[in-house]
Amino acid sequence: MTAAPAPAAAPTVPGPRRGRRARSGVSEATRRQQARLGVLLVAPAVVLMSVFLVFPVLNAVYYVFVDFDGLDTTPPFVGLDNFTELARDRDMWAAAWNNVIWIVLGTIGPLVLGLAMALLLWGVRRGSTFYRVVFFLPYVLPQVAVGVVWGWIYAPTRGWLNRGLEAVGLGGLARGWLGDPHTALYAVLGTAIWTATGFVFVIVLAALRNVAAELVDAAMLDGASYLQRLRYVVLPQIMPVFLMVTALTLIGGFAVFDIVFVMTGGGPANATEVLGTYAYSNAFQLSRISYGTTLALVVTALAVPVAVWLNRLQRRASTEGLGA
Amino acid sequence: MRSSSKVLVTSAVCLLATACTGQSSSSGGDGGGGDGERLVYLVEQLEDADSLSRLEDHLADFTESSGIEVEVQQLDIDTMRTVLQTRLRAEDGPDVISWGSGPSFAGALAEAGLLYDLTDAYEENGWEVYDFAKERVTYDGKVYGIPGEMETVGLFYNTQVLADLGIEPPRTLDDLRAACEAISAAGVVPMAFGDQDAWPGSHLLSMALSSAVGADGMEALLAGEGSWESPEVVDALTFWQEANQNGWLGESPVSIDYDTMTAQYLSGEAAMIPTGSWFINDLAVGADFESGYVPFPAPDGEGVFAAGLGSGPLISANTDDPEGAIELLDFFASEEHGEWSVENLQTIPPRPVDTEGLEIEPLLAQVLDDVSTLSEGGGQLGYNIDVLMPEAFNEAMFDGIQALLTGQSTPAEVAAAMQAASQA
Repeated sequence: MTAAPAPAAAPTVPGPRRGRRARSGVSEATRRQQARLGVLLVAPAVVLMSVFLVFPVLNAVYYVFVDFDGLDTTPPFVGLDNFTELARDRDMWAAAWNNVIWIVLGTIGPLVLGLAMALLLWGVRRGSTFYRVVFFLPYVLPQVAVGVVWGWIYAPTRGWLNRGLEAVGLGGLARGWLGDPHTALYAVLGTAIWTATGFVFVIVLAALRNVAAELVDAAMLDGASYLQRLRYVVLPQIMPVFLMVTALTLIGGFAVFDIVFVMTGGGPANATEVLGTYAYSNAFQLSRISYGTTLALVVTALAVPVAVWLNRLQRRASTEGLGA
Repeated sequence: MRSSSKVLVTSAVCLLATACTGQSSSSGGDGGGGDGERLVYLVEQLEDADSLSRLEDHLADFTESSGIEVEVQQLDIDTMRTVLQTRLRAEDGPDVISWGSGPSFAGALAEAGLLYDLTDAYEENGWEVYDFAKERVTYDGKVYGIPGEMETVGLFYNTQVLADLGIEPPRTLDDLRAACEAISAAGVVPMAFGDQDAWPGSHLLSMALSSAVGADGMEALLAGEGSWESPEVVDALTFWQEANQNGWLGESPVSIDYDTMTAQYLSGEAAMIPTGSWFINDLAVGADFESGYVPFPAPDGEGVFAAGLGSGPLISANTDDPEGAIELLDFFASEEHGEWSVENLQTIPPRPVDTEGLEIEPLLAQVLDDVSTLSEGGGQLGYNIDVLMPEAFNEAMFDGIQALLTGQSTPAEVAAAMQAASQA
């Protein structure tokens, strides 16, 4: 290594006993100490991230290229075989299609319902806290408990849904919701939407509280209809928050696992299988750890670009001066 | 600044050291046998706190006689499936585990070298179990465990309901069809069944097929010498398709989980229930009526019980105290333990048990006597398929039967999928 040349005509500035004073007025020794302190301060986070994030990810990447069954400590290298199999796996494509349905309906549903509920309660002051607590409650309940309770609701003979349908003369629609391959996915999705709507509602309602009321009033005076005020005045102001909620809900659609696992386990006959449950089943039931890991990595790889894109949209909305 | 840097460095080092250091085991070892005075016994999650308490009390007898303490650890079956191999490889892993005996369970662990070879211990200790049960824990000529409990799968029926309708317990498939028609006409669900958990479906096939092809036919299928696409398999599946289409399995059975299924029978909503001998325990606790238990009917005569082994004790290859672990297994193989498990867990030990003098339900006594007679050459026992086949096959069978019951697949398609999975 060569030493950096000293500035030729640097003015001699009387400084502390050791070291020179930088332009900012901080001596180099202090800067070095600050740098060391900085390194020390971030070291625990770096170590934790390395141990709990970087290492597992690298480990997962390793497993993708071998054929690990959970037992063999020296699994054979298989190159891209897991990806080749994945591309040809019809069950994987069926699960991926269910994910697509989940992402579309599971994102649009809570956003529309949550926004509608938030708009309804926007101007409501009395009992506002009560509504927020009630609607947010499903989101904080354990998914396992939610799944079990909704399983009872959907039960074919004693379930409340079928009883309700029979009570209003729609008994012909009664069925075993979770056991019918045509309805099972939508039944589970309905539960997930019920859970996520409260989250969207609370966040959007908080954003609506910061919307400039004078702009809405001005639009109203200008003769803008309700939908026009919503489209051109309200939504642009809450757009960054709305995009953030969209991103979280959408990414949840890629990674969905628990609610499906609890309510149907991916059945009947794979009708509700999503990539998460399919990866689990391969990794831990069929002991195909490598294939399961490959599926999990693919899910991650699909979710990241969408998350990044939505994040950029959100930042752009913020920097354009929009936002609640 | 310097002193604060030192504090930070010290803190960081401590944090790192804490993060990188595993949980230290207490004196005597958290596992791995440690000092030979304490064993860790890992079991699948017991049904309730009372069951755990009874097991610990029972193991206290072992501690008293041997001086070896046993710490019982529990894991639910899904977690156990996920972490068991890792725990067995770890230095502080369990010494003895209670785990399934099938090829996907103990067989896989034995193949990976994670189980202790008990071939010599069998001879030295003279452990007696039914021959076929010992075969199930033998892999590559080495014995790796003591079969813990036996299970039979058949048809329970509510004696009162059948008597009221003038129906005899069904012995042939035609008897069963007639019984289902009569029960259905009386407004009662003929057979409580729920396949949301997928595994109960395999019992339907196990019992119908065992009765149709007998022990030899099942052995041929399980050994890969017979075809899962054979007419007998298709016929067995066709019967359950017919039962479902006629409503004999209740409404939308694939929407119903196992607990709801048993509740249907226990509440009197259903007259029969196709399930396993473990259900006797539930009957003892939850039924206020008398039940009978028969093999599933054969197409042209009396059927046979499908039998399988439940979980049993195995020793970790990494145990630090194999002698102590073998002593514990010797305790589990004893007649006293067999009687204890019959009385307290209502399970069937894989060895003859004298039921006289035991405080047990008459139905359990009947099952024990039947199993004892059948296992010692007095008849045939069929096979419970899912404990003997690899997971890939089981998945094809589970999914296939769900698809059959939801009208997505025909019996022939399910049979073809199972055949393909058996050859994969």
